[in-house]
Amino acid sequence: MALVEKQLDPLFLARSYLRRRKFDSCVEICSKMLEKNPYDQCAWFMKAKALTEQVYVDEVEADTDGIAEMLMDDNSIAQVARPGTSFKKPGTSGQGTSTSQGIRPMSQSGRPVSGFVRPSTQSGRPGTMEQAIKTPRTAHTARPVTSASGRFVRLGTASMLSEPDGPFINPSQLNLAKYADRPGLNKVLFDYLFYHENDIKNSLELAALATQSSKYEDWWWKQQLGKCYYRLGLYRDAEKQFQSALKQQPTVDNYLYLAKVFVKLDQPLAALDLFEKGMEVFPGEVSLIIGSARVHEGLGDLDSSVKFYKKVFQYDASSVEAIACIGTHNFYSDMPEIALRSFRRLLQMGVVNTELYNNIGLCCFYAQQYDMSLTCFERAINLANKENVADVWYNIGHIAVGLGDSNLAYQAFQMALISDNNHAEAYNNLAVLEMRKGKVEQARAYFLSAITINQELYEAHYNLAILSEGQGDLNTSFKEVRKSLEAFAEHVDSKNLLAQLRQYFTLL
Amino acid sequence: MTTQISAMSEIWLAAHADPVANIHTFQSCMTLSNVYGQTNHQCVIADNGDLSWPPKLKVYNGTSLSYDGNIVETPTAIISFHVDTTEPRIPAIALAAGPYIYVYKNIRPYFKFTVPSLEINQLEQDLWNQAKADKIDVQMLHDMLESVRSDSDAVPLTPLSTKFLQTAPHQRSHFVSVYRENPLKRQTVITALETLKKSHPDDDAISCLIIGTENKDMYILDPEAFTVLVKQSLPSQPVFLRSTGLYDVDYRILVACRNGNVLVMKKGANSPKFCITLNSHPIGIERIGKNIVIATMDKNLLCYNNKIKNLWSIPMPSNITCLASMDFKAKTFKGVLVGMDNNEIRLYRDKFLVDTMTVTDTPAMMQFGKYDREDSTLIVITKSGGLYIFILKRNVDLSAGQASASVGPSPKQFQKLNVPRKTKTFVDQTLREREHGVAMHRQFQHDLYRLRLTTARNFAEALQKKMMPISNSNFAPLKLSANVQGIGPMFRLTIEVMNTSTNHPIMGAYVVLVTNDTLYVLEKSYISLPLLVPSLTYTVNTMVRCTSDQGITDSINVFVYIKGKCSPVLTAIIDMPASESMIVV
Repeated sequence: MALVEKQLDPLFLARSYLRRRKFDSCVEICSKMLEKNPYDQCAWFMKAKALTEQVYVDEVEADTDGIAEMLMDDNSIAQVARPGTSFKKPGTSGQGTSTSQGIRPMSQSGRPVSGFVRPSTQSGRPGTMEQAIKTPRTAHTARPVTSASGRFVRLGTASMLSEPDGPFINPSQLNLAKYADRPGLNKVLFDYLFYHENDIKNSLELAALATQSSKYEDWWWKQQLGKCYYRLGLYRDAEKQFQSALKQQPTVDNYLYLAKVFVKLDQPLAALDLFEKGMEVFPGEVSLIIGSARVHEGLGDLDSSVKFYKKVFQYDASSVEAIACIGTHNFYSDMPEIALRSFRRLLQMGVVNTELYNNIGLCCFYAQQYDMSLTCFERAINLANKENVADVWYNIGHIAVGLGDSNLAYQAFQMALISDNNHAEAYNNLAVLEMRKGKVEQARAYFLSAITINQELYEAHYNLAILSEGQGDLNTSFKEVRKSLEAFAEHVDSKNLLAQLRQYFTLL
Repeated sequence: MTTQISAMSEIWLAAHADPVANIHTFQSCMTLSNVYGQTNHQCVIADNGDLSWPPKLKVYNGTSLSYDGNIVETPTAIISFHVDTTEPRIPAIALAAGPYIYVYKNIRPYFKFTVPSLEINQLEQDLWNQAKADKIDVQMLHDMLESVRSDSDAVPLTPLSTKFLQTAPHQRSHFVSVYRENPLKRQTVITALETLKKSHPDDDAISCLIIGTENKDMYILDPEAFTVLVKQSLPSQPVFLRSTGLYDVDYRILVACRNGNVLVMKKGANSPKFCITLNSHPIGIERIGKNIVIATMDKNLLCYNNKIKNLWSIPMPSNITCLASMDFKAKTFKGVLVGMDNNEIRLYRDKFLVDTMTVTDTPAMMQFGKYDREDSTLIVITKSGGLYIFILKRNVDLSAGQASASVGPSPKQFQKLNVPRKTKTFVDQTLREREHGVAMHRQFQHDLYRLRLTTARNFAEALQKKMMPISNSNFAPLKLSANVQGIGPMFRLTIEVMNTSTNHPIMGAYVVLVTNDTLYVLEKSYISLPLLVPSLTYTVNTMVRCTSDQGITDSINVFVYIKGKCSPVLTAIIDMPASESMIVV
């Protein structure tokens, strides 16, 4: 085999490697060719392309909110937005949301849990500086300072490390104006600068020059300008560029980029409108439908979100995100047997991970298919890593509570805490177990830890209120029940307790 | 100005709004009266003042403040009444403050009445007399007074003696030498004020003053000579007084007491008749025709008839802040206005809601009556000190709400519950369950034993390695939580330790931090903890510097030891977040 490769024309071989995504080999061959002839444009093109492809992350999906963006957000129009028009106030959408907090749990930021983890679903905007800099214990969710540094910088530096004899192209020495005029080379150079070097300033300059030289008629360059502006945080400029590109040539990613800008500007309704328009131009484009579903989910309007996910199925029956979200929705809508079908399908499609087995186990248990339930949990534990094992233990604890085996529940919740010291829900449930054993002080300490870890956890507030009320500490009880209602205004038990406390207070 | 008011009401016209009028006082400190004897009426307000300005008497005329004068003490009530029959008929204003009633006429001081001072403890009087004559020393005086004070049956001490008991030992002799010449005096404080027509029911007839005091007494004063006509002691402190009838003929006085009882005092009766026991403290009491309407702190509006029978009670949506009666003579409408802390002012005729108005702030006090030249005006003062004046529309229809009382079961009974239907899959699965029930159960039990074993094994392992963030051991029940703050390369590691036992303090605990030395530099790797008192959270922290800029992370082990034990009590493993590289700005 190697012999054959040696006999081939190196250029042809490099092309073949590139096509087969063997980028390292391609770069190696191109480097050799460039050593012989530094002006070999073909080799240069392919090396740039290969290096770009190595670190390429789809710009549509890549999105991290840095601390700076979240705390010093000067793009949002209204600080106190009207209900249903902002991501900042999830769960206030105008339409009646079918899922209440009592049924579907909330993430730490007070948003209903999603069936699919993607950037910026889990992390809401933090309220205080302290919340923002408090790094979650696990490294995978640490928040970068700004999105301009953070992961993007790390990608750039990683590529530099891999090249011992300096960078392939030195952007500072480039004559950008010269390259901008060469239609064959300028696009690949841009991609290289943008994705590999992560040098937004030079990319922007190149894009601007190229747009000029194409007499403002090339939508591709406008889109690239928009991407650059987006990365620099100039969302209004980015919006203009994407709009202009869209007018010239409606493409799917143009719609996606523009929607991303709207989401960033906290204008979910504009984003939804845009998706609607996009779907008219590209009927059946899955990414647009999914985008729309995500925005609905972000607004807490889960019914509409599921409607769009179901629409995805008509065009792409194997969309993992759609299946997972619909499964989660069915599970929390009290139809675990339907959810089970969704998750089983994911398993058949080859997704094998802890979360999936965990979900199947839960679905089996609640759909009364007891013979399969516990096996799934066992598998989930075997597959689990440090980050998600706590949740599996937590769910086992739930099953144990359902079985009435408080000893197993106790051990499982303890295990959840051992794996993740900041598991607020586990603290809460452990406290309830302690409370039932009569260890009031222990229970109080656990409730307090649960509250310190997660302010939004209304259960802990309510339970602490009940505990304090039982002990006659009505003042604490009143305070806690108020907090519980702040986190979940519709909680009937909290309301009843509050009414009772009020009666105590006003009674002579 | 009217645009500022968000009064969404059918019956009120917003006439004037002054959100920065800066009036801070209570319901009883406002009265509407033609204080200058002219045809137009003024609003007289006794302002409590603030730390920065003294209590004031304010007179509003039209839309402006026409008089603003200081008063000596914090006012408790103000009321307008006629004291004589001279023409032109100018009413007097009685302002209660401390133990005094200041009577104003034409907004000029006219008379000052002092509530009769109270009986003085004979022993106390003797002691001070002896001190005056230098028969006893200061220490003796102190000890004797102390013993008088501790005797619960004795007449309470005067303020002078109480003050003396409070002074520091080295200042006592000085205190005695300065104050021993002062006569002993024990005074009470006025809590409520009301008028009672003397012999004619006309609007401008002479009225007696009724005074309630902190000492559980009630006085009726003669309007011309200001002598006490009737003195009556009550079982509790009166807070609201309402009267009907004529002093010379027959009268009834309603007394709402601070302990939640309402009493009725009739002419000639030796003692007040105890009639209503409220469930909660009264906020206001009004007589509407022959009924008594009471607002209470448990958000209820109660109505009793003349025979003290409870006619109705309506729960209010929010806490009631003030209550005022509304007597609209032109249409013989008698209603009651209820102000609540959800900014609403509701008008009730009997138990029927006639109107709801929303104002910009919580109403603190309000009064309906004649103001300026308008017969039916509502003056509202809000909690933030704003003054709002509303005029009742001339062509208003106040019969609304009477017919709307709904009957029959509530419409909520007919709502369908949103219960999902059982799906076909579910039915299929139940079939399977029915057929293979025994096998499923066996399998489940088998799995359950396995799961219990796995869990117990993991748990035992964790216990052995002391990996718990919480320890339940009897000698050191502790809870540990740790979090990392910061974005790198400097992190702050905060460790919180709490003693969860009920009554055992823990001594000699310390924290040890262990990590990969090549990656992290710890500021402190040993932190000793103070005595751990139960139920308190002890926070210690240390700085951690990440030396790598490659985005590599590792974990830090936190151990809590107790001195004398070789194995840790608690362990926490903290996975450090990826560090940001240094940003040079």
